[in-house]
Amino acid sequence: MLPAAAVVYFPWEINSGSLQEGESVRTFGRLMNYQPEESKATLTTQHASAQHKVIVHTLFVEPFNAIIGAQYMVLGEIENSEGGGVVIRARVLNCVDGVNLALFQIAVNQQRSFFRERESKATPPD
Amino acid sequence: MSQEDEPPSTLWGLDPVFSAFARLYIKDLLQIQESRQVPGIYFYNSHPIYKVDVLGTVVYKRERDDFFCYGVDDGTGVINCLCWKNEKWRQTDDPPERSETGFNPIAELKKLQEAQRRCSQLEIGETLRARGPVKTSRQQREVMASTFYKVNDPVMAEQIAWMMEVPELYRKCYDKPFQLQANATSGPTVGRVTRATHILKDFLKEKTVTKFRPYDVLELLQPLVCSQSQTKPGDQGQQNDASVAGPSAGQQLRQLLKESLQVLQDQGAVYRKVKSQDELYHVTEHDKDLLIAVKDIIREDSKREKYAEKGCHVLHILSAVRQRYSPNISKEALELVLKTLECNSDVISASNSHYTMFS
Repeated sequence: MLPAAAVVYFPWEINSGSLQEGESVRTFGRLMNYQPEESKATLTTQHASAQHKVIVHTLFVEPFNAIIGAQYMVLGEIENSEGGGVVIRARVLNCVDGVNLALFQIAVNQQRSFFRERESKATPPD
Repeated sequence: MSQEDEPPSTLWGLDPVFSAFARLYIKDLLQIQESRQVPGIYFYNSHPIYKVDVLGTVVYKRERDDFFCYGVDDGTGVINCLCWKNEKWRQTDDPPERSETGFNPIAELKKLQEAQRRCSQLEIGETLRARGPVKTSRQQREVMASTFYKVNDPVMAEQIAWMMEVPELYRKCYDKPFQLQANATSGPTVGRVTRATHILKDFLKEKTVTKFRPYDVLELLQPLVCSQSQTKPGDQGQQNDASVAGPSAGQQLRQLLKESLQVLQDQGAVYRKVKSQDELYHVTEHDKDLLIAVKDIIREDSKREKYAEKGCHVLHILSAVRQRYSPNISKEALELVLKTLECNSDVISASNSHYTMFS
């Protein structure tokens, strides 16, 4: 019935190989190009002097207003693509141009450290 | 959580989380245990949870005749929110009439209803905020939204603020166990000092005492110490045992008086004009000399050009009274004096912290 929770991953974590096929994720990036005929969008992000690409399959969210160069937030499932690497099959693709990404990263890290803290506290009694 | 961990329902109301809309992660909403005493109440870390507040992306949507069911994803979990349709939304058939006069309340009301309706119909991918009680129906957790609306969040500011706030709420509140037991043991001793200060204040007021020494009032507090070792069974039973082994009643009494006098001093209700061996306390409000001294300062200094317009500042009066009357006057005591003088219409407060006088 309800889909699985889409956990936030940074774009540079998407292609790290640690994500399983079918896993629900949420990530972001600047729309670099969009090929409607293939339902394929490419989001890119600069991080630590490297450019990270995330390929998004947009069939489920079409039609959408593609603004090249704008920030997008994507929510969907990980799929392995034929040519290696992963594709996110989008369930939600929102334009969030103007988002304070630095703050968003801080918020994500705070949330992660909170859960880490809590789990480390919770494990001993188990 | 076992049943023993669950605090008795009579104490739930003492936990502020119970009457608040708890901002728990959806992951936790799906996992928290329902109370065995009262269905519909859940426990997170022994905090009774009744109503919650969620914010997240709509990832699932189903419409029924009288409600919407939205699946909300906050990145940790997905929960169904049952959002009832408002009765009024159904009568939206006739379009608002144009009126020649500028303002048509009926048309405006229609517009308002339309705006309200737009706020409550969401599509997948939009952000929903819902508050209301948690329910479990057919083994599924859901939020029965009592209020809900679409959050217009184009640059995710609301969602980011939420993400940053929630861990803090957990650390400061939800993850701190609510310890009624701890309060119960520290309660009586704290309460005792409060009761003692009340007794002393009542006595000073009733008898219009102007000055006293500790031994004058010592026996007033006797009942508080005695009652512990003789009467009042029940919650003070533990204290009882402790006091038998602990300091004697006399010592306890002196300690209690010392603490109470300190509280009264901190409040400015009493002060010591001279700090010497002789522990003489003056009662601020009844100290005629002090009242006159403060009045004189204000009368004289209000005439000075510097203070003529706004009156004398509290801190100026404080330093003057310390110089001329007693160096031990606290700001609290002075404020009490000023309040008394103002009540008697002896002085007038020109602003929050300025006082003047008509002569």
